[in-house]
Amino acid sequence: MATKRKVAKRSKSTKKPNASPKASARRAVSIATSSQRTVKERVAAAAEAPLAVCENEKDLQAMLNVLRNKDEPAKVRLAALQSLQAASFSVLAFEPCRGEYIATLRKVAEDPDPELRQRVLGLLAREKDGFAQKKLLEGLRNPGKALLPPEKALQLLSYDVHAEAYSAARDIVKKPPSEIARREALRLLAADASAAPLFEKLLRDKNELREIRQISASALHALKPEKLQETARKILLDKSDYDDIKATSLTALTQFGDDEALGKDKALLKSVDRLSAGEAPAKYKQSARRFLSKYGR
Amino acid sequence: MDVELQINNSSSPDARFVTWTPSPCRIRVTNPSGATSPTVSVKIAGVSAAGGGAVVFRSGTAGAFSSSVPLTVPVNGTSVPFFVAGKFGQPSVNDGDIKIEARVGATSVGSVQVMVRIRKNANTLATGERNRFVSAFAQLNNQGLGRFADFRDMHTNVSSPQAHGAPGFLPWHRAYLLDLERELQAIDPSVALPYWRFDQPAPNLFKPDFLGVSDALGTVQFGATNPLQFWKTDGVQGINRRPFFNTAAAPGGLRNETQTLALGTQYAAFRTLEGNPHGSAHTSFGGSISSIPTAAKDPLFFLLHCNVDRLWAKWQRKNGRFNPAQAASYDNSGGNPIGHNLPDTMWPWNGVTGAPRPPTAPGGAMAASPCVSAPGPQPRVQNTLDYQGGVSAISRLGFDYDDVQF
Repeated sequence: MATKRKVAKRSKSTKKPNASPKASARRAVSIATSSQRTVKERVAAAAEAPLAVCENEKDLQAMLNVLRNKDEPAKVRLAALQSLQAASFSVLAFEPCRGEYIATLRKVAEDPDPELRQRVLGLLAREKDGFAQKKLLEGLRNPGKALLPPEKALQLLSYDVHAEAYSAARDIVKKPPSEIARREALRLLAADASAAPLFEKLLRDKNELREIRQISASALHALKPEKLQETARKILLDKSDYDDIKATSLTALTQFGDDEALGKDKALLKSVDRLSAGEAPAKYKQSARRFLSKYGR
Repeated sequence: MDVELQINNSSSPDARFVTWTPSPCRIRVTNPSGATSPTVSVKIAGVSAAGGGAVVFRSGTAGAFSSSVPLTVPVNGTSVPFFVAGKFGQPSVNDGDIKIEARVGATSVGSVQVMVRIRKNANTLATGERNRFVSAFAQLNNQGLGRFADFRDMHTNVSSPQAHGAPGFLPWHRAYLLDLERELQAIDPSVALPYWRFDQPAPNLFKPDFLGVSDALGTVQFGATNPLQFWKTDGVQGINRRPFFNTAAAPGGLRNETQTLALGTQYAAFRTLEGNPHGSAHTSFGGSISSIPTAAKDPLFFLLHCNVDRLWAKWQRKNGRFNPAQAASYDNSGGNPIGHNLPDTMWPWNGVTGAPRPPTAPGGAMAASPCVSAPGPQPRVQNTLDYQGGVSAISRLGFDYDDVQF
């Protein structure tokens, strides 16, 4: 008897044979929003729903209600969010509901579920939503009000960098609550011209993490390209510096360097030759050999 | 005796790239010394490097292809046409890995090196192919200072109605990818845009040496030798991408290829792929790629859309939907917004600004190609359908997919 019931349940799939895409999508919404279905069924159905969400007001409202409802299982709410997000790619059809969608996202931005908060604030930040930006900055200034960890807030603020975000980022670099927050603050500051001296200093500091030195190399390339070339060269000539940052420096020179100047730089070519023959990982040695073959060695 | 071989009817080395679609070629005698009659019998064949691509030939615009073609060529310098195409299933791996050689008897009288340049599955690229693509892309970005900024600016909320939610979704993105690919080829002509086959596992894509590995925060980490570590958009360094799936597997909830191709035989039904799998692929991640205004900040966006375009190409091949004059090939039933009707020029390449088009038009005209003349600097929607030139040879766009034959 149990086996027969299982088979009967399995046959209630989202798709009926030969159903049109629209009909299938409408049925999917009906399953995704039904509290009579299992979480697994509802999550699977939500993936089929975007077409209906775009084209049917009732279906859109049903999915928004699921997203808003804190009593719904978190997985189902996340699936509803993903479905709405996929539907939003059909811009023209979604346009009439965009206002309500954004209003719902703002409500969910302060939800007790941290994953929902993060996703929704991410969506809003990418839309350059002022409400979200204000909340994120508030959280950086007053950690007691933070909706997200500082590193995530900084990452999201980087979608629309303002002077206030730079100021918050500089404060975090000076007094970082964590290494990862410092890293994201530096990433955001890569667009701030006044931060070039900071990045130059960080790139040369052998005590810094490779990732920080890599961010600094990248930031310098945009802010002061000639400084990157100069510093990358110094790193390659420095026998005591690490192979991984040498590889980063070499990559920078290979991709963006002045070919004529590099080809004539005997000291640099000698250092790269040493890297190619030394005990660095194979990948770095290959990179060094490619550099040398580019400049005729 | 010497002959000149022209590929794509050009003597430029920049034009020595072919796809599965037949390329028009010419041969002519440039040095007739040794000739004893007004014409000479020449045999043209391809010689493949080990592991390289292969080509086939035919003398006219119809008929079967073969591994060589015999031609009678006047010694007075008059050109004789022939056609070359990549042998389906044997694309090149490196530039110039095929020699097209002309022989008179046992004597070689001329040759050129060519490449069968094909858009491939990103997960199975050879190391060299992957590295060249990544290097070209990083140079196009040039740390946020390069031409890539225009491509980023073409895909925003403001411009979105030009490209989404209406029938022109597929044509617009086909043109967008083509423009980008041609810019990459101006940096390295051996590069073709690869595709992310999102309905299958693609573990090689999400590695430090390719499109990077996301940390718990969603910041993408690259290897020290990967030039994408310098990627920058909107003045900010790095890529934000947080997979909601195990990148050793495929994302869940996406329509697979079979299901997508079965959406319908009419374009109006097929284009619903915009929601799933296209929209669902985008939203398999958190981060830039998951929202329209920021999606193009992530290089993965272009590989995602390359797969969407491949699905369209495959559907076209399966159903014979290349001709804009055929109603089932496109949804031109009326009521489409501007930019989505077959005769419409497409923004931004048309340079038109001001309502109902966006206020600016970044990037200028469509990039030209040394291999083909289509779609022209200001492509229309209808120019994107006959991408292989099967309806009209002059319409070919100069790209092909590894698993969609001519």
